[in-house]
Amino acid sequence: MRYETSFRLNGTPVSVSVEPSRTLLHVLREDLGMTGTKEGCTDSECGACMVLLDGEPLNACSYLAVQADGREVTTVEGLSAPDGSLSALQRAFLAHGGVQCGFCTPGMLISATALLARDPDPAEETVRAALSGNLCRCTGYQGIVQAVRSAAAEIREG
Amino acid sequence: MAVVELPSFVRQDGREKVTGTARYSADLSTPGLLHAAVRLGGVAHARIRGIETARARALPGVVAIVTQADVPDLRYGTWVRDRTLFASDAIRWEGEIVAMVAATTEAIAREAAALIELDLEPLPPVVDLEAAIAPGAPLVHPGWAAYDGDARIPREGNVGSRHTIVKGDAEAALAGAPVVVRERYVADGSHALPIEPRAITAEWQGDRVTIQTSSQVPYLARTHVASTLGMPEGKVRVIVPHLGGGFGGKCEGHFEPHVAALARIARRPVRLAFDRREEFLAPDHHRERMVIDLATGVDHDGTILARSARILIDNGAYGADEPYLAQLAAVFAVGPYRIPAVATESLVVYTTTQPTGSVRGPVAPQVTWAVEQHMDVVAERLGIDPLELRRRNILVEGDEGPVRQRIGANGAKTALERAAEMIGWGRPLPADEAIGIATGWWPSFPGPSGAVVKLNADGSGTIVTGAQECGTGSVMALPILAAEVLGMRPEEFTLLYQDTDAGGWDAGASGSQTTFNNGRAVVSAATELRERLLALAAERLEANPADLELTDGVARVKGSPEAAIPIAELAAEAQGGRLLIADGSGDPPAVPEVDAGGCVGRLGGESFAAPCYFTQAVRVRVDRATGVVRVLEVAAAHESGTIVNPIGAEGQVLGGIVMGIGQALTEGTQLTPDGRQRNADMLDYKLVTAADAPPMRVEFVQVPDPNAGPRGLKGVAEPPAVPTPGAIANAIARAAGTRIRLLPMTAERVWADLADVEAGR
Repeated sequence: MRYETSFRLNGTPVSVSVEPSRTLLHVLREDLGMTGTKEGCTDSECGACMVLLDGEPLNACSYLAVQADGREVTTVEGLSAPDGSLSALQRAFLAHGGVQCGFCTPGMLISATALLARDPDPAEETVRAALSGNLCRCTGYQGIVQAVRSAAAEIREG
Repeated sequence: MAVVELPSFVRQDGREKVTGTARYSADLSTPGLLHAAVRLGGVAHARIRGIETARARALPGVVAIVTQADVPDLRYGTWVRDRTLFASDAIRWEGEIVAMVAATTEAIAREAAALIELDLEPLPPVVDLEAAIAPGAPLVHPGWAAYDGDARIPREGNVGSRHTIVKGDAEAALAGAPVVVRERYVADGSHALPIEPRAITAEWQGDRVTIQTSSQVPYLARTHVASTLGMPEGKVRVIVPHLGGGFGGKCEGHFEPHVAALARIARRPVRLAFDRREEFLAPDHHRERMVIDLATGVDHDGTILARSARILIDNGAYGADEPYLAQLAAVFAVGPYRIPAVATESLVVYTTTQPTGSVRGPVAPQVTWAVEQHMDVVAERLGIDPLELRRRNILVEGDEGPVRQRIGANGAKTALERAAEMIGWGRPLPADEAIGIATGWWPSFPGPSGAVVKLNADGSGTIVTGAQECGTGSVMALPILAAEVLGMRPEEFTLLYQDTDAGGWDAGASGSQTTFNNGRAVVSAATELRERLLALAAERLEANPADLELTDGVARVKGSPEAAIPIAELAAEAQGGRLLIADGSGDPPAVPEVDAGGCVGRLGGESFAAPCYFTQAVRVRVDRATGVVRVLEVAAAHESGTIVNPIGAEGQVLGGIVMGIGQALTEGTQLTPDGRQRNADMLDYKLVTAADAPPMRVEFVQVPDPNAGPRGLKGVAEPPAVPTPGAIANAIARAAGTRIRLLPMTAERVWADLADVEAGR
C-alpha cells in the first residue's frame, strides 16, 4: 500500500508515492535526491538528519514521510539563496571553523536556522542548549557557537 | 616562542559542506546498485558447526550471498595473520562477520541476513585481562602458533605481544628511593565514533574493481583488497568521497574486500552502509581497555629516581595495530620526564571482545590519565605543588628520553607553564571547584608520501595528492605550503585527493602525518616548478635565475619590481611546450638514535621523532550529591612545532579536548560478563554535547623542529586528546577529596567514591 504524499520541499511542490512505514529521511534521500540531509543513528540521537518542518527542527529519521503531507519541508539544500549566495549562518560556520568533516553540518545549520528565527539575539547558553541535539565529533562546538552568535549579530545589523 | 593570531581561513571544501552538496559514501548511487547487509556472529565465543543460507537465498530480491567459502582461503593481519575475511571455524567476538547478502533493497538484504542460520557450539568467553593471561585460561586462538606472522611476536597463550622499555636498574633504584608510590589504574574501552557510519560501494568493470569507501587509509585499503582477494593492486582503485570523520575508526582496510567479493558474485555494483550499532561494532577501532600498574621512586626534593610499570592492553579477538601501540604505551608510561632508571612493560592480551586499534592518539590518553594522576599522588606524598613537581622533572633540551634518545629544543616546559598561567593555577576557588593539570607528549611519524603539482595556463595551480582528508583540514594546508614556494596565493590552488589511481602513495589520515609528510611531498614538487619558472623567467628577462624571485603571482628581478612577468604568462607559454608539472616525495626525516639494547618487542615505536609536547589545565565542579562532574573551563598549551594553518590547528585542539572530556566522563564501553557490548548506541554511549562543552582557550608554543615536516612543523590532530582525561582526573581529586582510578570517571563512580569517603570506608 502506497500513499500519495505532497508537500513543499525548499519552496517547490513535490509529490511522492510512499509506503507508510518509510521515514521522511529516506524519502528525501532516496526518492527525492536530497542527500544533504544525513543519516547518523536512525535513533533521534545525533541530529544529522534534521530538517525544518513548517519552520521547526525535526529529526527526519524518526518521522514518517506520509506525515509531511501538506506541509513545508526545508533541508540544508534550501538554506542558501536561489542565486546560490550563502546565508549568514553558512558563511559564519566557515569563517569561525565551525565545519570540519561536515557530516553534522547540515543538521547543525538547520537547528541554528530555527533558533535564529525565534531568537535573533541568543545568549551563548541558549545557543548551546538549542544545538544540544546535534552531535559533532570534530569541532568541540566552540567554532559553531561562535558562528551562530556572529551570524545573529550580522542578521540583526542587517 | 610566539603565540599566533588566527587569520581568517575558509576550507576549500567548505562551501559544498554548508550547502549539502558534498557527497559522502552513503550518498552515492549508480545504475543497478544492490544493497548489502552483514550477518554478524552475535555471540562472544563459539565454534561454528554449520552455516545455512538456503532460506536467505530463497527470499525474493536476494541476489547473492558471500561467505568464507566464496573468497580465497587466506589469513591476514598486521603482525600475525590471525583472521579470515569471514568467520568459518569459530566466532571470537560478537561483531564477527559470518556472511554478507546483496539484495535489491536494504530491507530485503537485512531480512535475508537474519534468515541465515548458524549452528554454534558455545565456547567459554575470555574477557578479564588478568584472567586471560592466567595459567589455564581458555585460549582465543588455540592454533595460533601455526599462523604466519612477524618473528618478533612470540605466541604464548593469550599474550599477543610483550614490550619493554629498560634504562638503568629500576628495581635497585626503587629499592633505594626515599619515597616510593605504587598504584593501579583501570580503564574501560571507548570508541572513535565518527558521526558518519561507514559506507562502501564496489563496482567491477572487466577485471578491475572500483571501490568508493569511507576510509582514512585508501592505499592501505587497496593493498588489503588485493591481498585478501588474491589480485594485483593495479586492478583495484579506491576512491574516498567526502569522509564524515574518522578519529582512527576508519583506519585499516576493513569491509572493502567483502563488498568487492559480493559485487563480483552478484555481477552488479553493491553498497554496504552500516547502521549505528554496526558502526559501534566494527573491528579495530575500539580504544583499549587497560590495567595499569605504576611505581615511582622519588627523592624528597621531587627528583624522580625510577619508574616501573606494567600495562595490560586489550587486543580483542584479532590483532590490528596493538603490538606497535603497546610499545608506545611502554614509552608513555615514563611520561615526558627525565627519569634515570626505567623498567616498563606492556602486554597485549587476546580476549573474545571487539578488536582494538588506533583511536586518536592510541593508548596515550589512558596511559597519560594514569601517569598524570600518579604524578599528582607523588606530589601529594611529598607535599610539593603538582605543577612544581612537573616543572622539576619535565624533559628539556639535552635530556635523555626513555631509551636515551637525546631530546632536542622543545616547548614542553613553556607549554606547562603557559597552561597553568592561562587557567590561573593557584587562584582561590569555591569549595566544590578545583583545577587539575596534565602534561604529555606524542611522536610524529615520518613516512613516504607523494604529490603532483601542476600549473595551468590561467596561472592557477592543481595539487594532486595521495593524502587523505577526513575532516581535519590537513590537506587544506597543502595549498598554503605550495603557494609559499611559488609566490602565489593558496586560493589559486585546487586539490584533487583520495583516489589511489591519481595521487602518489600515502599512509592516509593516521598518525597526524598528513601535513608532516605530504607537506614535504608538495614542497618538493613545488620547488621543482619554482626552478622551472625561474629558468623561463630568466630567459624572458635576460637575467640570472639566481637574481629572480617569485612573489605576488609574478617572477621578477629582486629589487627591481618593474622587471616582472606574471606566473600565469609563463604557465601559458609552458603549455605550448614542456608542461609545468612536477611530482614530489622527498626523504622522510630520520628517526632519532636510541639505545634500546635491553628492551624487548622492539617494533620501531621506541624512538620518538619530532615529538609534540603539551599541557592542558581544566577547572571542574563536582556535585557531591550526585557525583556529576562538570568541566567549566579548559586551557590548552600545545607545542607542535611551527603552525602552518592556525585556524585548522586550533580546530584540532578544540575537538580533541572535547573528545577527551567524553572519554574522561561519559563515554566508555560497557560489557556484559561474556564480553558483548551493552551500550552500542548513542543513547547509552554518551558523547559530549554543545551544552556540556566548556569554553576553551588554546595557545601554540612554536618551536620549529629542524628534523620534522616543512618549516619545522609537527603533527597536530592526536595530541589534544591525550592529556584531557588526566587533567580532569586531577581536578576531580582536588575538588572531591577522593581519587577516581577507574576510567571513565562517571557520576556513578564519583558518587560511590564520595559515599565511601563519607562512610569512612
